[in-house]
Amino acid sequence: MTAKARIRGVIIVGLLPALLVFTFFVIVPILWSAWYGFYDWKGIGAMKFIGFGNYLEIIKDPVFATSLRNNLIVVAASVFGQVPIALALSLVLRQSTLFQRIIRSVVFLPMVLSSVVIGIIWGYIYHPQIGILNSLLEWIGLGSWKQAWLSNPDISMYMLAIPIIWNFIGPYMIMYIAALQNIPSEIEDASAIDGAKPMRMLFSIRLPMIWDTIKVTVVLCISGSLKTFDLIYVMTGGGPAHSTELLASYMYNNTFSIYRFGYGSAISTSIIIISTVLIAGSQLLMRRNTR
Amino acid sequence: MMQTPVELKKPLAKRRMFPKVKISRALLNILLSIYGFVTLYPLIWLFLSAFKSNPEFYEFPFGLPKEWHWENFADAWNVARMGVSFKNSFIVTIAALILTLVFGAMAAFVLSRFRFRGRAAAMALFLLGMLIPIHSTLVPLFIMLKKIRLLDTYGALIFPYTAFELSLAIFVTIAYMSSIPKEMEEAALIDGTGYWGFFFRVMLPLSAPALSTVGILAFLRFWNDFAFALVFISKPALQTLPLSLSMFATGYMTDYRLTFAALSLAVIPTIVVYLVFQEQVMKGMVAGAVKG
Repeated sequence: MTAKARIRGVIIVGLLPALLVFTFFVIVPILWSAWYGFYDWKGIGAMKFIGFGNYLEIIKDPVFATSLRNNLIVVAASVFGQVPIALALSLVLRQSTLFQRIIRSVVFLPMVLSSVVIGIIWGYIYHPQIGILNSLLEWIGLGSWKQAWLSNPDISMYMLAIPIIWNFIGPYMIMYIAALQNIPSEIEDASAIDGAKPMRMLFSIRLPMIWDTIKVTVVLCISGSLKTFDLIYVMTGGGPAHSTELLASYMYNNTFSIYRFGYGSAISTSIIIISTVLIAGSQLLMRRNTR
Repeated sequence: MMQTPVELKKPLAKRRMFPKVKISRALLNILLSIYGFVTLYPLIWLFLSAFKSNPEFYEFPFGLPKEWHWENFADAWNVARMGVSFKNSFIVTIAALILTLVFGAMAAFVLSRFRFRGRAAAMALFLLGMLIPIHSTLVPLFIMLKKIRLLDTYGALIFPYTAFELSLAIFVTIAYMSSIPKEMEEAALIDGTGYWGFFFRVMLPLSAPALSTVGILAFLRFWNDFAFALVFISKPALQTLPLSLSMFATGYMTDYRLTFAALSLAVIPTIVVYLVFQEQVMKGMVAGAVKG
């Protein structure tokens, strides 16, 4: 009996600190956020219950639509930019020679930089007067292409997708390399003896065998892209005129610039819903492809 | 009998292909080197520009500085008041790191060593933390921190950082602790060491690899965080490094030498950590990518 009581004591003492901090600072805020979404509230003063009013407004809000469209551009750029590039790199960098390890480290390096630093550097790269992108274009004789990359609403979102792709290729590449190295060498040897050419090997052996990893990375790409905030905040602040607004930055601007706490909370909840739908959808699509 | 010609054919075919393979390998390595250089270029440009004077930055954006202006760094340090922000980042990061490691290791110990009612529920709760987008908690956390008067204190960052890192810390550590044999626990208990003695003297030292991965990852995340600092800290005296950098860069947009020197100083600690602990950073980030 005393032994049992002692074990119970250990369990309580061990679990309680983590559980308290986690519940108080992660779980409670999520629940509150869902609840605030039903109110009209300026952060101070009375809260007015308006039911689904905020959500109805979201559906009609043109800026929300722009943010969603921009976010889908980021999602597409991530899925169709990061995944193929990381996959190609992993195929040629999977042998772990010194040279390959160095290139791997270089590709991964942007991951450890603060997103503020990344945003400021790329802001200077794209700068209309002093940016090195324009200097480079001039230097190679394409001076007519020079422009203000981040203030042209037609291209700014695509220009912003480039640092995002550059930033996050590393971890996907490492995941693919690990998966490729896990393929039993007997299978590759057997197919080589059967005369499989490299392309055939890639599409019939390697890709199918790491398909589960690819699925995981697509999910990570989607959920990661929907969280993009720091870079946009530092580089454009969502402007000009909301043209580069993303869901997270729109949520921030609504809440902390114009103090619409209720509306901002409703956007937060929408982000969770949209991200769940996109992830479930992508999983369904990719399951069908394997059959 | 039948196999002999096949055996013969193979090496022959291989020998004929060999020079071609070698050439394409060399070409591939050249392409990879170019790719690596392009990837690294923004950073190279940052460091080189930090040594230039303002006119030189404008006129010769590429290439090495004509004169290496080391004083840029001292000027940036003073003008951007980086001493203060370095101190703040250091305090917040270390405090949150200690809390994450201690609370995380304790919880992982209990969850990996004991079977009890509510264990599955606790695991599911922590798993939920891996799936939640951080930004969706900014608004309610802001309101809550304001109510409990933590807003604009170190605590406004330390506790949320710890809370959001705990899930990952617990799962990485549980995976490691589960692999430590049960017999060690029984031996320790027979020797008269209590459960906590066993935890501190056996489990913690044995879990050092997992804990160091968690620690390095947490360090990078806390040190680089921007969103929480932006929303929860408004006093200039409490600004962490990324926050004060973003303010500085906006205010000193056209003083390129100062901005680039300040950015260089800010990234040096993370690059050093990366160079020293590369393997662990990569492994940890891949595990952490699940959280994103």
